[in-house]
Amino acid sequence: MPDIDIDDHSDVWVFIEEHAGEVAPVSWELLSEAKGLAEELDEDLVALAIGEDLDDVAEEAVERGADKVLVADDPVFEPYRADPYGEQFRYLVEEREPDVVLIGGTHTGRDFAGRVAVPAYAGLTADCTELGIDEDGHLEARRPAFGGNVLATIKCERHRPQMATIRPGVFATADPDPDHEGEIEEVEVIVEEADTISEVVERNVGDTADITDADRVVAAGRGVEGNVEPVAELAEALDAELAASRAAVDEGWIDGARQVGQTGKNVRPDLYVAVGISGAIQHIEGMNDSDIVVAINNDPNAPIFEHADYGIVGDLFEICPELVEQLEDVDDPAEVLA
Amino acid sequence: MTDQWTVVVGIKQVPDEDDVTIDPDTGTLNRSGADSILNRPDRNALEAALEIKDQVDANVIAVTMGPPQATPVLEEAIAMGCDDAVLVTDRAFAGSDTWPTSLVLASAADYLDADVVLCGEETTDSSTGQVPPGIAAHNGWAQLTYAEELEPKPDEDQIVAKRDVEGGHEYVAADLPVVIAFAYGENEPRPAGLHRKIYAETEFEPEQVTAEELPIDTDRVGLAASPTQVGGMETVDPVEREQERLESPAELLETLAEEGVV
Ligand SMILES: Cc1cc2nc3c(=O)[nH]c(=O)nc-3n(C[C@H](O)[C@H](O)[C@H](O)COP(=O)(O)OP(=O)(O)OC[C@H]3O[C@@H](n4cnc5c(N)ncnc54)[C@H](O)[C@@H]3O)c2cc1C
Repeated sequence: MPDIDIDDHSDVWVFIEEHAGEVAPVSWELLSEAKGLAEELDEDLVALAIGEDLDDVAEEAVERGADKVLVADDPVFEPYRADPYGEQFRYLVEEREPDVVLIGGTHTGRDFAGRVAVPAYAGLTADCTELGIDEDGHLEARRPAFGGNVLATIKCERHRPQMATIRPGVFATADPDPDHEGEIEEVEVIVEEADTISEVVERNVGDTADITDADRVVAAGRGVEGNVEPVAELAEALDAELAASRAAVDEGWIDGARQVGQTGKNVRPDLYVAVGISGAIQHIEGMNDSDIVVAINNDPNAPIFEHADYGIVGDLFEICPELVEQLEDVDDPAEVLA
Repeated sequence: MTDQWTVVVGIKQVPDEDDVTIDPDTGTLNRSGADSILNRPDRNALEAALEIKDQVDANVIAVTMGPPQATPVLEEAIAMGCDDAVLVTDRAFAGSDTWPTSLVLASAADYLDADVVLCGEETTDSSTGQVPPGIAAHNGWAQLTYAEELEPKPDEDQIVAKRDVEGGHEYVAADLPVVIAFAYGENEPRPAGLHRKIYAETEFEPEQVTAEELPIDTDRVGLAASPTQVGGMETVDPVEREQERLESPAELLETLAEEGVV
């Protein structure tokens, strides 16, 4: 066990995930949520940005509530790689001893969080959906277990920092306040290209749609069997975002940025329509905060019907076009029904 | 071609999640009725390892950290085609969170002289996905998570992975030794051959390795050395849904209009 003096550690850190100038929405969600934690702990809220050309990102972090922004700006960090990111982040954690470190539960966040937590001997909790502070000032990180039937509370009482990855879409983002003031500090970059042990050979990144704050979501599953068209048309007719189960993403039919579930995103729309989705626990976890859930599935015994308010048993290739037809030619879908 | 590669595959025995139930009276988890099975994503890791072996000269060794009762998952790995399997077992490991677990597996990878460590994306019982990056961090090795395709480059001592990233894919070349977390469902795990199955079940005995042999200081593993602790479990009431069956699209739209969502 390392000799860790817990009282030496202060500040709540939020990692600002940025790729080629675009910030992952979960970073701003965390910054909003962490403000309350920092206040409760009477500590500063610190944003940490790693990447290249981060001036705009740093300024936005201040507007979104950071008391301080640490910026590690260097070409070595673009595009993202686990080893330089992990190394730089670990250095900052060891040098500045934060109390709490929050990282988005994206592929990137989950990729490097362990590279910081292991050398720092920090406690790291995966994919949290709730955060709190207990009476002794420890972070309580809560995460669903066993298909969301159980919420486990994880604590880290003897190690610092208390680290957690947090699932995208569980916290709301507050509007930026252009009058908010904060300090921006360029930190020393300790990573050198010559020491890296990995190289990005090619990167093909397009659509990074944000499904997490859509009011209506229509999701396609393996039932579409490669033909997403009817579901995409239904989404359009309902003015909804198109989403997907992991199976549909894995098959390459729909982009991963649109995946709902345990290893995808949490959505909380007014209306969620699951089309050709069986309703595996990992999927349900990501859509359970939806207000009204509709399921369309040709298997009357599909578990999705237990997690839906309204269900139609039938072939999606017949039902989706019928729905679209009835919704068509009206600006406001509600009109047709009035 | 250069030296033979040693590919170590980390696998885990987990309770079948379909069998884990919640006692409605006490609110506690009931795992006793659950079958013990090989963590499903680990099958994809085993397949990826065997595909490396199909392409380059490699010795594939399955490793699990667990009690002797976990041996059946090692037998499954042997039946699928792994050359060898090792049980890393010690009472001192009990209660380990991801920090000591990845330390043990990192030490085992070192002990076995691994060039490549392959793991499943995450386990279905704890679903953290933290162990593969943890292994890489403990040993200072490269890592490739969310890997969907692998291309071994023996001449360059590298592996190139197609990785899933937000909004698309990237190809990353990593120097050996490298730890890879293979994405769940991204390949078709091969079935076990009948002869391998019989061999695995009748003749094969996994090598057992303890903390002392790795070697690992037992103060660094187990519950006491784990930075995170489970502070409590609350059952969450399932979200109440109407579960109403409707006959037609028209009826659905009518109902949704009444609800005020369309
Ligand atoms: C570690 C791990 C993480 C995971 N993370 C996620 C996650 O984040 N999100 C997620 O969604 N899953 C996740 N999964 C996968 C999950 O377990 C399921 O495999 C997946 O959700 C199944 O997707 P599906 O419902 O689209 O496909 P299937 O289970 O194959 O279901 C297809 C459904 O379509 C219906 N169907 C077929 N044809 C038609 C038709 N013509 N008309 C109407 N209905 C039709 C079928 O009856 C069936 O119910 C994860 C699994 C693991 C192990």
